Amino acid sequence: MKTASRILGTALFLEGFEVQDAPRYGAERRGAPIFAYVRASREPINERGIIRQPHLIIVADETLVPVPAAGVLSGITKITTLLVHSFESPETWQERLNTPARILVLPAADTVEEREDIPFVGTACAGAAARLVGEISREFLIEAIHHELAHLSPDIVQKNTEKAMEAYDLMASHEGYIKEDGDFSGGAYEKPDWVDLPFEEARRSAPAIHAAATSVEVKTGLWRTMRPVIDFEHCNRCWWVCSTFCPDSAIELGEDGFPEIDYDHCKGCMICVAQCPAHAIEAVAEHKPKAHAAEGVES
Amino acid sequence: MKRKLLTGNAAAAWGARLARTDYVPAFPITPQTEIIETIANWVDNGEMDARMVTLDSEHSMITAAGAAATTGVRVFTATSSQGLLYGMEMLYTVAGWRAPFVLVNVSRGLATPITLEPDHNDILAARDSGFLQIHCATCQEVLDSILIAFRLGEDERVRLPVIVNLDGFYLSFTREPVEIPDAEAAGRFVSSYDAGNIPFRASAPVSQAVAAIGGTAYSYFRYETHLAAQNALSVYEEVAGEFTRRFGRTHDAVETYRSDEAEYVFVMIGSFATKAKEAVDRLREAGWSIGLVRPRLLRPFPEEQIRRVLTGKKGIAVIDQNLSMGKGGVLYMELASALHGQANVPPLVSFIGGLGGRDITPEEFYEMASVTRTAAETEEIPPPRLLYTKGEIREVRKLQAIAHAERLELEPEK
Amino acid sequence: MNETKTAFKRMKDLPSTHLLGTGTPMCAGCGGLQAIHEIYDILGEKTVFVNAAGCMTLLSVYPFTPFRGSWLYTSMGSAPAGAQGVRDALDILIQKKRIDSRENLNVVVLTGDGAANGIGMSATSGAIERDLDFIYICYDNEGYGNTGQQYSSATPHAARTATSKGPRGFPGYKKDLFSIWASHKPTYVATVVGAEPVDLARKVEKSKKMKGPRMLIALSPCPTGWDFNPMEAVEIGKLAVRTGVWPLKEYADGKVVHTKIPGRRPPVEEYLKLQGRYAHLFRPDRNETLLREIQARVDAYWDGVE
Repeated sequence: MKTASRILGTALFLEGFEVQDAPRYGAERRGAPIFAYVRASREPINERGIIRQPHLIIVADETLVPVPAAGVLSGITKITTLLVHSFESPETWQERLNTPARILVLPAADTVEEREDIPFVGTACAGAAARLVGEISREFLIEAIHHELAHLSPDIVQKNTEKAMEAYDLMASHEGYIKEDGDFSGGAYEKPDWVDLPFEEARRSAPAIHAAATSVEVKTGLWRTMRPVIDFEHCNRCWWVCSTFCPDSAIELGEDGFPEIDYDHCKGCMICVAQCPAHAIEAVAEHKPKAHAAEGVES
Repeated sequence: MKRKLLTGNAAAAWGARLARTDYVPAFPITPQTEIIETIANWVDNGEMDARMVTLDSEHSMITAAGAAATTGVRVFTATSSQGLLYGMEMLYTVAGWRAPFVLVNVSRGLATPITLEPDHNDILAARDSGFLQIHCATCQEVLDSILIAFRLGEDERVRLPVIVNLDGFYLSFTREPVEIPDAEAAGRFVSSYDAGNIPFRASAPVSQAVAAIGGTAYSYFRYETHLAAQNALSVYEEVAGEFTRRFGRTHDAVETYRSDEAEYVFVMIGSFATKAKEAVDRLREAGWSIGLVRPRLLRPFPEEQIRRVLTGKKGIAVIDQNLSMGKGGVLYMELASALHGQANVPPLVSFIGGLGGRDITPEEFYEMASVTRTAAETEEIPPPRLLYTKGEIREVRKLQAIAHAERLELEPEK
Repeated sequence: MNETKTAFKRMKDLPSTHLLGTGTPMCAGCGGLQAIHEIYDILGEKTVFVNAAGCMTLLSVYPFTPFRGSWLYTSMGSAPAGAQGVRDALDILIQKKRIDSRENLNVVVLTGDGAANGIGMSATSGAIERDLDFIYICYDNEGYGNTGQQYSSATPHAARTATSKGPRGFPGYKKDLFSIWASHKPTYVATVVGAEPVDLARKVEKSKKMKGPRMLIALSPCPTGWDFNPMEAVEIGKLAVRTGVWPLKEYADGKVVHTKIPGRRPPVEEYLKLQGRYAHLFRPDRNETLLREIQARVDAYWDGVE
């Protein structure tokens, strides 16, 4: 999404806008959810950091939408358009979220199963956003993509450009959805509820964790785009291979002697798939429903 | 209790010994070395039941000090100048661990150029670290302050490391009569250190000093450390009060000398403040109404006391033995911010002197008093004044001639 | 290595439950985390890790920690000094009978290659010289990984990093941390890799029974920094051993013993070509000079062993 935000930012800049774009990093690493902002205005931009009331939210990974910790829906109002890269319809999302925002869907292609395809999702999102903003020409969008992906090989840039233009065209009927507006006044505002921080003893107020393994509360399973699925028909029960090699301690020995994958925490690195001596672990695209995936393996 | 001639360094070692320190991570640096040599000898002779370890640097030394304190033993350590700055990252870091221990800093001017004699730029560089700071003017104060510092830092309401500062040479290598408290009495005063539920034990896992990504959690932890440092003001009063009751010596957060009824006051920290006392006496003899105010606590900053003793005066001479490049004296800035917006704020006149151990003469004190009086009477505050004479610049010219530095407008003496 | 004394004769003997908690923020397929989770299972939870700034610092981000024992973050340069403080304090408390000896902990330094080879070297050398009773684990991903894989003094010759993007990659040569440690005559030094878990388990088991300074250097294939598909992490670790790039060895009692001498070593390029950081050696043209040089250095190493 960092690249997507930069493509959008550059395209707006080429169109003569003042622009701000920035990724936001947390403690988490490659594969973890990431978000990025773009601001554009005809006037110089003084605001910084988090966009409190976004006009457009673009979600590349639909599995993040319902996760409160991901904060995808924060600041959403009736001026917001939510564009989800999804296998579902806008109506399904409208029903699911019950939000004042307008919802659009950038249809996910079934071909997005391979890790190699994932980078194109970002460019496609940028292409869709460019059309929604309505101020970005085809020409400048292509120029922005070439500028931001200059470090990649020409064929990759070409494929990215195609994906972006496909998405750009798909959004034709919504062109100019996103308007430059906003009613923010310093005269009427909600008072910040400042408090006087009370003194608390060091045993409480030092950055120390007085418990074991609290990290299990972090569901890194959200990072996955591909899911390893064990075919128990062919599993040799040599759990020591997958369980030892899993960097995340996410495979343990179950009571029945078979290895068990902890999907709440498996990040989808697929080391187990690569190392399984019996080739009994398959990589399945995450968006496919679990039942379907399991069926596919068993049949 | 016995009275002996002790250097400031020996007094510091005695403070560590009487406080029943368990652990002394060390690294030698002039002019602090005598402290760790004395302790090493006591440990070797069995006179002090502690473990001393020389680390590879002050950065490591302060890390080990914090780590040991956080594991639950009483820790003393000492450094100077470049050493304090080399360990600066860890000063900030271990304060956030809320690991109480005592670090003695023997002040020495900072490079460049490298020097051995004192000023306060080293200790003031640690001003915002989270360490509390006690500044001493006599060798007796050094010993007493270390005992007080352990009580202060270990208090549940504080839990922060403390720096006890003394000036190199003028205290570190200077012998004065010092009353050494009885070991039992001192032991009762400091009592034992209880690390609470923070330390590392097999039975209770704890992850300490972990990262806090994001401004919300970060702000909380940082501000709590600030609140703890502020708590140290009232805790200091309690502890110093108890010290007075037990040992008869008074060590207020702000020392005042003949300043209650005075029209003019000198304000300074450290050992040169006793020279200011002497000047006060001589000026009083000459008919001046003048006194001295000496903050002993610099962190937490005793703002209320400072306001109480300084407002209503006719004029204040602030003497800084330090220099914030591009701004001026640090103590002057601290006072100005404390007094700003108060009623009856007297003019503050800023003087920079005593850099790198340069003496401040009695005549210079008299002249500073005079300049301050003129400023008060004319309501024209002169720019900060460096205490530096024509004789000194001539001396520098001679050195420059030998160093073949390019000749400037002043010719060396024929 | 004397196999009769080990509880780990084959992979089946490895632990089936894991001490290190799930949910850490490390990258998917992290070879460093893999090694640490394997090591932790054998070290046990009566361990306090003393950490230096690096990728693993973010294992513990308030209020989450994966550890069942304890942890102390220090700084990038002084983790061994932190270990000194904790070790000394525990010894003092036990000696002065203020705590029960059952409260004792193994003190373990955990740092990346940047701290181990560079900024923390002075603190490390001092700790070994003082015969500190501790284990040092270095997860070596051959660069400053936490900041985006700039070259460190553990970066191998010719590798592309964020600060060596030229056609010849990193011009320097990987520092020999094993020998630097061994020259201090510590109790134990070993190289390990998560992809060879039995060898790793035996070495952790062995070192755990010893006293004094002990070092485990874990080659940590890094999908992000080395640019490979995360699922290849173990394959790359195995190839590092088979091609002879990463010799598995240990030092004890003044002697270096290789614990796994690869028989017929495949060409090093089998290892290199899986990693994007060496892509410039193969595309657009093969850089025969560099490939030959890298191979020759590996051959020369093993000539000295065989």
